[in-house]
Amino acid sequence: MSGFATLRSMRRQLTPVRIGTAALISLTLTAAATASRAQSNEIGVYSGRHYNTDKQLYSQFTRQTGIKVRLLEAKDDALIERLRSEGKNSPADVLVLVDAARLDKASDMGLFQATRSAALLRDVPLSLRDSKGRWYGLTRRVRVVLVNPRLVNPASIKTYADLANPALKGKLCLRDRQSVYNQSLVADQMIQRGDAAAATWVKAMTANVTKPYFTSDTPLIRAIGNGQCGVGLVNTYYVARMVSGESGAADKALASKLKVVFTNPAHVNISGAGVTRHAKNPAAALKLIEFLASPAGGKGYAEANHEYPLKGYGSNATLKAFGTFKASGISAEQMGAKNKAAVKLMETNGWK
Amino acid sequence: MVAAGASQPSAPPVQPAQEGRTALSLAVVVVVLLALAPVAWLVAFACSGPDGLSGLSLGSDGLQQLLNTVGLVTAVGGLGAALGAGSGWLTARCQFAGRRWLRIAQLLPLATPSYLLAATLIDVGSRLGYRVHGSLWTVVVLTLSTYSYVFLLSTESFSVSGRRQLEACRSLGVGPWGSFWRVALPMAMPSIGAGIALAGMEVVNELGAVELLGVPTLSAGILLRWQQQGNPHGAVALALVALVIVALLVAAERKLRERSRCWNLGNDSSELERWSLRGWRLVAAWMVTLVPPLLTLGLPVLWAALSWDQLQAEPIGELASLSGRSFALALAASGITVAAGLLLAMAKRWIPNQLIQQLSFLAGLGYAIPGTVIALALMLIGGPAGLAPMVLLIWGYTDRFLAVAKGGLDAAFERIPPSMDEAATSLGCSWMAVLRRIHLPLLRSPLVVGTLLVFVDTVKELPITFSLRPFDFDTLAVRVFQYASDERVGAALVPALLILILGLAASLALIPNLERIEVEPRS
Repeated sequence: MSGFATLRSMRRQLTPVRIGTAALISLTLTAAATASRAQSNEIGVYSGRHYNTDKQLYSQFTRQTGIKVRLLEAKDDALIERLRSEGKNSPADVLVLVDAARLDKASDMGLFQATRSAALLRDVPLSLRDSKGRWYGLTRRVRVVLVNPRLVNPASIKTYADLANPALKGKLCLRDRQSVYNQSLVADQMIQRGDAAAATWVKAMTANVTKPYFTSDTPLIRAIGNGQCGVGLVNTYYVARMVSGESGAADKALASKLKVVFTNPAHVNISGAGVTRHAKNPAAALKLIEFLASPAGGKGYAEANHEYPLKGYGSNATLKAFGTFKASGISAEQMGAKNKAAVKLMETNGWK
Repeated sequence: MVAAGASQPSAPPVQPAQEGRTALSLAVVVVVLLALAPVAWLVAFACSGPDGLSGLSLGSDGLQQLLNTVGLVTAVGGLGAALGAGSGWLTARCQFAGRRWLRIAQLLPLATPSYLLAATLIDVGSRLGYRVHGSLWTVVVLTLSTYSYVFLLSTESFSVSGRRQLEACRSLGVGPWGSFWRVALPMAMPSIGAGIALAGMEVVNELGAVELLGVPTLSAGILLRWQQQGNPHGAVALALVALVIVALLVAAERKLRERSRCWNLGNDSSELERWSLRGWRLVAAWMVTLVPPLLTLGLPVLWAALSWDQLQAEPIGELASLSGRSFALALAASGITVAAGLLLAMAKRWIPNQLIQQLSFLAGLGYAIPGTVIALALMLIGGPAGLAPMVLLIWGYTDRFLAVAKGGLDAAFERIPPSMDEAATSLGCSWMAVLRRIHLPLLRSPLVVGTLLVFVDTVKELPITFSLRPFDFDTLAVRVFQYASDERVGAALVPALLILILGLAASLALIPNLERIEVEPRS
């Protein structure tokens, strides 16, 4: 092989490596540039929520206060692990998590610092925040019973306990026990009715389930809509999204025929946030949380995603049409403390 | 280049020129240490549990997850091997209408992430009132998304190796089937084995699709124990079980390769005539080569068509920067990973030290560890040390995909006869000169294939990117997953299509490589 050919083929060989190195260098430079860009008027947010509407709200906050928000959205559990391993090195000032149990877990792990804020005490109801001020609820979502009126009489269901009625055998469909929303619901019931009664309830209710468990809410809602299931447990915002037409005309037609039943009392879960223990800019971090919890912020944070604001029902038309509910009043902190026991109870009583 | 024909393996080359070998060894040790750090960390962590190693147990959940994993690996491995080797053989050695296009079409499934395939299947199903769920569907999804590995690695072998033997078959009156079973298949075994091992590892660490389809496997169990049950030691116990499975896969592949090793001493460039297919054979060939690519690409497109009315496009600028980040990350990861893979494959050839040989084998195990676990391990290593997220991210990719780059190179190295190295070294070439003047030109095709495979894998990669990326650094895969996990199909649509396009572009970049094999066998 001639020297020229060797050279040419060598150049071909090395190209991917070389391009890779160049790409890596430019990536590192970009990252370094971002990292060095002013610590002062900037906060880092780790968020387990990922909705486009959230980003609009963060921009609004930046416009109002001049504080720049740098965002990392990932799975809640991964964020908790990352924050813990980063310790003092963490660039995060605010941790936003979905579900009461996770907020409680993060504060147990010492990832939050206690804060005091008159605005937050005013805007966040007692049952929706940590008693030591480590985290504050920002939005509410309700786990409701969704009924296909052609198959099940909506009036026959008044409480979660009614789902254990043997008449629903084969008609009840559930999402699996990995869902934190189901875990917190069971924790809620254990606190309200005691462990033994909750165990009996779960056992009888899961005996009604003959179809494979679902792994997400939307297919469950569709299955209820097209009559494969008669009744199920879902979060309000998934239904609201479909009813509002956000997920297409077919879903809208399907979901509009269904009846959202608020049990009395209803199980309310939250998303919430706290200032991280090693925040570099805790004052600005608290400011962001105050902004998100304020009625104005809540409009963009909760209602834009079809969630309920911290107080009242807000102005989202779809949610208003669902009607009103009475919250169980069990605090997020209590539910979080009961999470492990709830998972165990579900496991031993047949919740797949 | 050298005399044609195949010879029996000879002893490893004697190396007269030792200079520079220390640098090679050192580089190899560094790569191996980096690659093994997360695994080593896992093992150390498992031993440091409250009850030491005795506290590690499978439990009843774990047993079920193990059975599911083994079942999936077996089913997907078998089906994928049949499909991949079948389409590899058909498109390389048989002649039928559309062969050229169908050969290229086998690369399409590479572009589709399995979680996307699962999510679209479930979504399309639930719209049509059909429930997509359970192990059968999981096998379908995973086979579709992994058989291309077997195809890619085997088709090259079918194309280039054993032409003379096949000609001999033909002149002795052995038909296509006989030639396939008795000559081509055994000769392609190392490549097919490497492909099956890759597919099997992909199945072991698969997370998104199995979670969506409701089949609890080890990787889902690891995550569950670690993050939801707050039992990291139990999680590591499961991770070690997964590692054992993959070690077995890799060992089996190596065994297979050793048994069927035979040096490929070049080929003459004359085109071997292909077998013409007619009648039912033609229909069967079409089915085998057409249906899988059609499904993998058709499903997401059907899904896109069904969800068009809920399309929520993000601003073009945002989409461009998402794609740019995916592209740059994948470039960096593929370049570095292939370089590391080449280094390890070379070490295997040049450094007779047993320890280095074993270490270089172990370094490929990262592919076995679910991305989530690599991410957790790297977080716990890098977090306290204050390492930049970008460094951790690339480290994670390289660790995860090293086996992809290395597998093809190892197999290709085995086809280069040691006599060439011996000749070169006896003429005074150092290992570097041999690499430059002999190996790199001969390895061009596996290098390109390796680079593109890692590229596509990185574009699709989710758990590592998701948990290790820096602030404000979303990629296409991240965005798709966020929307899909939040059950917002409309918003996930455009980034998902962009992943497909990026993956498709990379897969199509493989075409010249496939074509080259056909028209210009290595000389």
